Amino acid sequence: MSTPTTLAAGTPETLADIGTEFVPASTPTGPHLNAIGIIRSEWIKLSTVRSTIWCFAVLLVVSMGLAAIMAFGLDLAGTDIATVPGTDQARFVAQASTFGVFFGQLIVAVLGVLVVTGEFTTGMIRSTLTAVPKRLPALWAKALVLFVTTFVAGLVSNIAAYAVTVAIANGQGLHASLFAPEVIFPVLGGALYLALVAVFALGIGTIVRSGAGSIAVALGVILLLPVVLQMIPATWATDVLPYLISSAGVSMFGLIQFAQVPLDWTVDLIIVLVWVIVSLGSAAVLLKRRDA
Amino acid sequence: MIQAQSLTKRYGSKVAVDAIDFTIQPGTVTGLLGPNGAGKTTTMRMIVGLDRPDSGTVLVNGQRYQDLRAPLREVGVLLDAKAIHTGRSARNHLLAMAATHNIPTSRVDDVIELTGLTSVARKRVGGFSLGMGQRLGIAAALLGDPGILILDEPVNGLDPEGVLWVRKLMRHLAGEGRTVLLSSHLMSEMALTADHIIMLGRGRVIADAPVSEIIGQAGGATVRVRSPQATRLATLLAQAGVTVVNLEQDVLQISGITAAEIGDQAAAAGVALHELTSLTASLEDAYMSLTKNEVEYRTGGTGDDEFGDDDSDTTDAAADAAANDDPRETELQEAAR
Repeated sequence: MSTPTTLAAGTPETLADIGTEFVPASTPTGPHLNAIGIIRSEWIKLSTVRSTIWCFAVLLVVSMGLAAIMAFGLDLAGTDIATVPGTDQARFVAQASTFGVFFGQLIVAVLGVLVVTGEFTTGMIRSTLTAVPKRLPALWAKALVLFVTTFVAGLVSNIAAYAVTVAIANGQGLHASLFAPEVIFPVLGGALYLALVAVFALGIGTIVRSGAGSIAVALGVILLLPVVLQMIPATWATDVLPYLISSAGVSMFGLIQFAQVPLDWTVDLIIVLVWVIVSLGSAAVLLKRRDA
Repeated sequence: MIQAQSLTKRYGSKVAVDAIDFTIQPGTVTGLLGPNGAGKTTTMRMIVGLDRPDSGTVLVNGQRYQDLRAPLREVGVLLDAKAIHTGRSARNHLLAMAATHNIPTSRVDDVIELTGLTSVARKRVGGFSLGMGQRLGIAAALLGDPGILILDEPVNGLDPEGVLWVRKLMRHLAGEGRTVLLSSHLMSEMALTADHIIMLGRGRVIADAPVSEIIGQAGGATVRVRSPQATRLATLLAQAGVTVVNLEQDVLQISGITAAEIGDQAAAAGVALHELTSLTASLEDAYMSLTKNEVEYRTGGTGDDEFGDDDSDTTDAAADAAANDDPRETELQEAAR
């Protein structure tokens, strides 16, 4: 601002004088707002609410449980396991290890929504935005922390599921190394997809702001949209199906294919990323523009 | 230092804050008063960038709040006690806030102790009473040791001890040269805490003056005198600028002359006094008279909106109305003569 206006009659000082004379030395020397700090803050926030712990615990249990069900259900129908090629054995193990991702995507979507709607519904968002008044750094930090933790939790769950699968299927003589390309790629890809779904849901939560509404929208897109499209007896519906976030996500690491001609996993990844970018981008625009 | 220039906020067609200007000085406690819906909270929210002004600007230390390098260390804000995630403990909430600015953990523990939250710091905020929530909100505001404090209804829900604590704290912080802006509905509390008052009505500034001046506008100081010779005393004191009101048979309420002068004159004339008490008009009286038009406007229906809208003289009109408000006054002034 330019030259300060003088104060009301009877007050001799200019604003500038008062500013230098009386404002205590709070003006930034020493700690100030910074990216690492904002990320650390979001990590503290994520790790100190129960919903996070619950979501990851449920993810782990569901992944291991589904792997166990699938491994116990393995029916060789009299085939000698020695005649089954190693790659097929590995594919079965990979499917069992990542089967939890089907349900896991719903769990992490709820988590992604809660991370931000928990702030909107409690009013915490006002504390967040007064600490980070430019707003977007807080959103990016939330997305980053959520992405990394969900990826790690997803990876741990998938590896635990792998361990369960192998422990059970070994009884039938089935073997597959975790680091076989048929196994490790889906295990990593499944975790990556979970992390991206969480960030997608974070965007939805920021746009919708209410917890119940956001969960409805996020689960609608992930769960309901594919079902609805499959029920529509039109070719365009079948054509669109592979481009949904959940279809592309699960085909990305080879669980199920929705396209007649399977898409390359990089194409699937790009499809998922577009969903995430649109969601988070819209969230950023609205967070910046709206009153909190 | 907070400066607003033609600051305006609309919600739909409703103008919440209507082109207001003000400057809030360091070293003082400034009270923001006004009826519900006058724009107090909206103004505070605009100062810290939660609401975007439709036009005009508000600067803290010469900068927009959004542009501050260390917002928490320049401005501490309590907008409502429930701006805190209910599922997190008080200490973790403060740690998360502190982390953004690399404020050390020792400072978090300091503000917890300062606000008397030590015993509940590790409990989840959801179980907090309103008063504890307020204390936590104040702790968060103090976290960055800021030069400016903005507190919306800080004593809301506090027990008497807490109210006293907030009052002393605000006075202390202003005494250190900090800028303190607070709003409250408790007039008596505001009169004790604030040095300066900005009164809002329907989104406009209807008064911006030191507390004493605001109270002065509402009629100033009066003296209550009890005397068996009240009528004689009334005659004795009758002079220009002195108003005598006969409250009861032997009780007078006198304004325009100090208690000492009344005592002296009574002694000189040999009039016995049984009571001589200085009374100060309350901030509440001033508030009522200043906001009279604003309140009438909103409860009086739709008939005379046009009249109420052209209110460049609102303050004067309200003060005049207040001056002629007491019918006994004129009546008894006559009696006294």
